[in-house]
Amino acid sequence: MGTTLDLTWRLLRGGGRRNLLGAALALAAVAVSTGLLLFAVTANLAFAQRARADAWRHPGKAGADPVMIEALATDHVRGEPITVVDLAALKPGAPAPPGMPRFPNPGETWTSPALARLMKDLPSGQLAARFPARAGTLGRDALIHPDELVAVVGRAPGDPAMTAGRDRLAGVENTAAPTRIARYSTGAAAFAGVYQALVAIASVLMAVPLLVFGGAAARLTVARRDRRLAALRLVGATPGQVVAITTAEAVITAAAGALAGTVLYAAAIPALTRITIAGGGWYASDLWPGLPVVAAVLAAVPVLVGASAVAGLRRVVVGPLGVARRETPPAMRAVRVLLLAAVMAAFAGASGGLTGLGRLGLVIMLVFLMLAFLAINLAGPWVVALIGRITVALARTPARLLAGRRLVDDPRSAWRTVAGVALTGFVAGFLALLGGASSGTKASDRLELSVPPERAAAVAEQVKGRLDGIDAGVAVRPPSTGGPSADAAVVTVTVRGGASAVDRARTALAGTVPGHVATTPADEERGRDQLLADLRTGALTVLVVSFLIAITSAGITGASAVLDRRQAYAMLRLAGTPLRVLDRARRQETLIPLVVMGGGSLATGLFFAAPFAVGFGASGAVTLAAFVAVGFGGIAGASALSRPLLRSVTADPAPTPD
Amino acid sequence: MSGPSPSAGPEPVLTGRGLAKRFGAAVALDGVDLAVGRTETVAIMGPSGSGKSTLLHCLAGIMRPDAGEVHLLGQRIDALGERRRSTLRRTRFGFVFQFGQLLPELPAEENVALPLMLNGTPRRDAVKAARTWFGPLGLGGMERRRPGELSGGQAQRVAIARALAPRPAVVFADEPTGALDQATGHETMRLLTEATRHNDASLVVVTHDPSVARWCDRTVQVRDGRVQQPVPGAA
Repeated sequence: MGTTLDLTWRLLRGGGRRNLLGAALALAAVAVSTGLLLFAVTANLAFAQRARADAWRHPGKAGADPVMIEALATDHVRGEPITVVDLAALKPGAPAPPGMPRFPNPGETWTSPALARLMKDLPSGQLAARFPARAGTLGRDALIHPDELVAVVGRAPGDPAMTAGRDRLAGVENTAAPTRIARYSTGAAAFAGVYQALVAIASVLMAVPLLVFGGAAARLTVARRDRRLAALRLVGATPGQVVAITTAEAVITAAAGALAGTVLYAAAIPALTRITIAGGGWYASDLWPGLPVVAAVLAAVPVLVGASAVAGLRRVVVGPLGVARRETPPAMRAVRVLLLAAVMAAFAGASGGLTGLGRLGLVIMLVFLMLAFLAINLAGPWVVALIGRITVALARTPARLLAGRRLVDDPRSAWRTVAGVALTGFVAGFLALLGGASSGTKASDRLELSVPPERAAAVAEQVKGRLDGIDAGVAVRPPSTGGPSADAAVVTVTVRGGASAVDRARTALAGTVPGHVATTPADEERGRDQLLADLRTGALTVLVVSFLIAITSAGITGASAVLDRRQAYAMLRLAGTPLRVLDRARRQETLIPLVVMGGGSLATGLFFAAPFAVGFGASGAVTLAAFVAVGFGGIAGASALSRPLLRSVTADPAPTPD
Repeated sequence: MSGPSPSAGPEPVLTGRGLAKRFGAAVALDGVDLAVGRTETVAIMGPSGSGKSTLLHCLAGIMRPDAGEVHLLGQRIDALGERRRSTLRRTRFGFVFQFGQLLPELPAEENVALPLMLNGTPRRDAVKAARTWFGPLGLGGMERRRPGELSGGQAQRVAIARALAPRPAVVFADEPTGALDQATGHETMRLLTEATRHNDASLVVVTHDPSVARWCDRTVQVRDGRVQQPVPGAA
């Protein structure tokens, strides 16, 4: 074992500059993969942590032996939501909520740090006066994100706020009627669950190409060494020793890469905390996966790379002469494309009814999205091979012919390079249309307070009294059918004088109808807009990750292609082939499929988003333009990295079998 | 310039005079004279490190000698720039190496057609011309096969076709049978020498194998960067 390691180390160090370059490329690939893998894993953990921090606020079902009453409401200040949890103890010894040292006493308010700051900064008449006196600050266990506005208000069990019912806003779980409970909820609320499901999907979308790409990188490092290992076999190394040496080499490289990736990820955390989801960034500690996960990733990545290396080695070990036979790959069947066509046809048929189905429609849409992703991934290599055959058929120049033959020869490798951008193009196309749905269209100066119809007139009078000094018009709207508060009348207060006047009116109205908070139509729209904005943020994050994968992959694939063919390239160069022909072929074999596939998936994304399009917004156009510029620029740049490599491998005047 | 005069056939195609080349402190060539006549086949032999490959690289315009001159059909080529020498190699020379010279993703006929296309022949004509080489070299039916689907000997015959397809003046071969068994090696040398002669080209073969050198008209021994007393070929 000691000899094997020693020999491995010598081979690794003594492999020459080109092999060192290859090892460095593999290391970079593993580092990027590890960093992104950590990100994909941690995103799930971070959302789980958020779900935990959110769970206790939702009272859940009434308990059999209740010790306290919990209610949830959502107020607003400057258009931002404030989560208000009302708590009343029924017995002494009611459990302290998460993030608090004790159960709040009646008449005291505990706030999040962000809310405390805001209460200090704004005049009391705009915010602080809505709550009882501040008694303490909530710890982070109670908070979803650092900037969250949360108030926990202690009340007596008999307080009207703890007995009156609540009206709930449509679809968003930000209001809950007072409930007698024995303990705080711990399971994720449905809305947090949706986020967790979405982030799980996003992780899969990020992790699957990562694994494929990482495995390919591992195998390519082995391919590089085929001949030298075959030589080792010739001088009498046993298959076991050859496997051990190569695996050790791959594992050492991968371990270094995994470590570098972890450092990379840790360095990126401060930037990652600024990704805004559900109205706020992240606690840095939420984005650190913790030692067990890091240890598992650090152990698993080298093992996976090693296993992949062993798989790639079988060929060399079987034959000491290392004759790498290359045969015409079996043609891939058109079924792959038919599948994509079928998914698209089914979607076209179903899309008309989807928007009317509400939540079920969303689920069906997500399923279709997943299917479309899978189908694109299946159809990809087939289409790349087809593009290759067309390129070959039309080729007039040697460079075009070489590029086309490369695509036909190994469509999967070309697909790996462009897959990220192709799939991303799908997302970008999708977002381009969704981006048109702009928010902030509803009134933000009209506060609405729902009341039982028989009390409407009295409440309106009371409201007028409270609004002394605020320029506002009060009216009563009779109960309307449909909508979340179907059997309630609505007292509307139209405030003139901007956002601070609205906040003063909100403060003045606090507690007018116990348990009911005055909200504007814009507030109510906020929940839906938030979800849409979060979807867009999430998709953008996946977009950035796909770009990173695509660009790294383009660099690695390009360099490996050069390294794999360095003998043939060197010979061609010796025989007088101009470097620019080889270079043009190298460039075209990436750019041709990129143009076709990137454009094609963009169109597919646009097609799928079409039923939801409100309009082709300016932000959508910007997203698209940015996609095209960054995608093509990044990939062309990464693939240009292999140009000096091509020059160096072909500059060697005396090609040897290495 | 001492030593034997670079004598060859009546009209030398390729001549090297006083070729010298050093890599750092190591002397690879130390004043070599060599002339290759029309349709002549010359073997350059010598142990490893004798400078035989460097000689080939200098003669073929791959490398520029530190001193001395190389002439092809009366034109001096060693002083040309890399671009001109590159064009020259592509149009006037052909190359056969030990292995790894065929592009694995190209069918055999396109490997042969590639140098023609690089020289500006339209693809259709280039492939048509390439195909004519397959029958005479015993490769009938292999046109669409890819290098991975060919045996070592077949691959070398495709390489011979590729070297000869642009109708070169001189074919350079560096250990052309190095990766082949003896019988296949002999067959390859027979085809290489015959086809070269038949196409009015000269042949320069670098080898350390006397049985390969026997196929040539003449053998030049290189040792420590100098040409030893020439001995007549045994063919």
